[in-house]
Amino acid sequence: MSAVISDSRKSPNSSVKGLYQNLTRRYLRRTKFKIGLVITLVVLVLALVSPWVVPYPDEGAGYVPPEASQREKEPPSLRFFFGTDTRGRDLFSRVIMGVRSAVIQITTVISLSLLIGLLAGVLAAYFKGVVEIILNYLVELFISIPAVIIALVLRLALGPGLMTVIASLVTTWWSWYARITYVYARSVMEMDYVTLARLSGLSPLKIMTRHVMRNVLTPVLVQAVTDMGSVLLEASTINFLGLGLPLNSPEWGVIMLEGLSVLEIAPWISAYPGFFLLVTALGFSLVGDTLREEIDPRLRRRWRLWF
Amino acid sequence: MPLSLNYLTKRIVWIFLVIIGVVVFSYTAIIISPGDPAVKWAGNPRGPNASLAIELARKELGLDKPPLIQVLKFVADVFTGNIGLSIAYKIPVFEVILRRLVATLELLLISYLIAIPLGVFLGIESALHRNGKLDTFLQSLGTVLANTPTFWVGAWLFLTLILLGAYPYGRVDPKIATATGFHPITGFYLIDALVEGNLIVFVNILSKIISPAIAIAIYPIGVLVRLTRALVSDALLEDYIRASVAWGVSRSVIIWRYALKAITPGLVQVIGLAFSYSLVDAMAVEYVVFGREGLGSLLIDSLNYGDFRLAVGLIIIVAVFYLLVNTLTDIIQALIDPKVRL
Repeated sequence: MSAVISDSRKSPNSSVKGLYQNLTRRYLRRTKFKIGLVITLVVLVLALVSPWVVPYPDEGAGYVPPEASQREKEPPSLRFFFGTDTRGRDLFSRVIMGVRSAVIQITTVISLSLLIGLLAGVLAAYFKGVVEIILNYLVELFISIPAVIIALVLRLALGPGLMTVIASLVTTWWSWYARITYVYARSVMEMDYVTLARLSGLSPLKIMTRHVMRNVLTPVLVQAVTDMGSVLLEASTINFLGLGLPLNSPEWGVIMLEGLSVLEIAPWISAYPGFFLLVTALGFSLVGDTLREEIDPRLRRRWRLWF
Repeated sequence: MPLSLNYLTKRIVWIFLVIIGVVVFSYTAIIISPGDPAVKWAGNPRGPNASLAIELARKELGLDKPPLIQVLKFVADVFTGNIGLSIAYKIPVFEVILRRLVATLELLLISYLIAIPLGVFLGIESALHRNGKLDTFLQSLGTVLANTPTFWVGAWLFLTLILLGAYPYGRVDPKIATATGFHPITGFYLIDALVEGNLIVFVNILSKIISPAIAIAIYPIGVLVRLTRALVSDALLEDYIRASVAWGVSRSVIIWRYALKAITPGLVQVIGLAFSYSLVDAMAVEYVVFGREGLGSLLIDSLNYGDFRLAVGLIIIVAVFYLLVNTLTDIIQALIDPKVRL
C-alpha cells in the first residue's frame, strides 16, 4: 500500500507562494478550475448566510411548525421550491441550511486531520527509531479501518452528534496526511540544507518547522483540498446510515435517509440533497485537481498521439 | 515465484498487530466514553434480568481488574474467536459476520466485473482522443462519477425499477427460492444457483444484484476512466511503443496488448484500493436502499440493538478484509510486474 505514495514523482520544492502567484495568471484560464472555484465560493457564501436567505430558517434547522402537518410531502411549487419533507417542512430551507453543516464537517475534519497528520509525519521523519515505528504502526492501522465502521463504534460509545462524525473521520483521515508528509519529509531530511542546519546547531523544533514543514506543506495542502469532496461524501454516508448527526438535523445524508422511506411518493426529498452533495463534492475536487496538475509538471506535459 | 516467505510472515504478523490495535481502540472507546461501559456492552438491557446481563458484561469486560489486564484479556478473547454472542442475533459474532460478508463480497465482485472492463475501455478511448471532444467528455464524466454519492444513485435505480414494476428488494425472491428448492451452500448465491443448475433462481438473483452493483460500480468507473487515461498516455510515450510502431505492429495490437500490459500494475494497485473503499459504499447501499442482507444490515442492526460485540466484530473483520485485499493486490502485482519483488 505504501507504494501509492512512494510512487509519486512530485518534488516537494514548489513553494506555497508560487501556488498563489500563479492563481490569476494560470488557473483562471482553465474552465475546470473556474467551475470548481465558482461552486466552492457559492458553497462557502451559502454556509455563511444560509439562515438569512432561506424562506423558513426555523424549519430548515429542524423545527416542525404546527401547521406543517397539513402540507406533508408536497411536490415542488413556487411556495416550496423543493417541495416539503415527510413532516411538512420546507425542503429548500433544509437543503440550503445543510450547506453549513457540510462546510463545518469538511473544514473541521480536514484541518484537524492535517494538523495531526503533518505533526506525526514530520516527527516520524525527524526522529527515526521508536517514534518512527510507533507512528508508522498507527498510520497503517488507521488507514485500514474505514471511517464508517469507526463511526459505528463511536456512535455506540458516544451517542449521536457532530462529535461522532468528526471524531470518526479524523481518526482515519489524519493517517493519510501523516503518510504523505512522512514520505516527503524523509526526502527533505536527506537534503544538504537540513544537514547544514543541524550542524550549525539549529534546534530540532526550528529545523522541523522552518526547513521540513515548510517544504512539505504545499503538496500536502493540495492533497487536502482534493480530499474535501471525499470527506463530504464519507461524512454524508455516515449520516445517511444514521451513525452520525441526529435524525432532525439539516444534513444532506440525514435528509436523504428520511426521504428514502417515501421514495415512491416523494422522490424529491432524496433527490435534492443528493444533487447538492454531488455538486459540492465535485467543486472541491475540480479545484484540487487543477492545483495538483499545476504543481506537478508531469501531469501538464503537452501530449499528442503520434500514430 | 516472486513471493518470499519473509513477506508472508510479515503480512501475517501485521494482521495480528492490526487486530490488536483495533481491539485496543474499540475497547478504549467503550471504557473512556461517558456512561457505564458494562451497560453499553450488554446493549442497554431493560426488563427483569437486566442487572444479570450487566453483571455478566462487567465480568466479560473484566472491569474489576486493572486496565492493562482487561485489554490483554479482551485481545485474548478475540484471538480465541470468543467475543460472545451477538445481542441482535443470539449467535456467535464472527459466525454472523462471516455469513453476511460473503453476501457483500458477491455484490462487490459483480460490481467490479462491470466497472473494470468499462472503466478501462473508456479510459483507453479517452487517452487515444486526448484533448479532443470525446476525451473532454469522458474525463468530465469520470470526475462527476467519482464524486457521485453511491446511495443517491442507488435510490434512483431502486425508484426506476419500482416504477417499471420490478421488485428489486432482497437477495432472492423467497417464493421462487422455495418453489424451486434453492439451498445456499457457499453463500455466494449466484454460484450456488449455478452449481445446483437452478437457472430460474440464478436469473432472479442476477436481476436483483445488478442494480446495486451498478450503483457501487459508479465510483470505480469514474476513477478508472481518469486513471487509465493518465497511465495509457504515459505508456504510449515509451520507447518500446515507438519501436513497435516502427516495426509496423498494428495499432490495435500496440494499444490492447502492449500498452494494456504496461499499465496493468498501476491499475491493479488502484483497483485494490478502490475495492476497499467500495466496501463502505456497498454497506451504505445494500441494506438501507435495496434491503439486501450483508454487512450493511449488520451495521444497522448493531446500531439498533446497541450491539457492541457485533460492532467490534465488524471493525475487526473489515480491517482484516482491507489487509487481505491489500496483500492480494501486492501479490498480483508481484506476479505480473517483474520489477516488484515481495
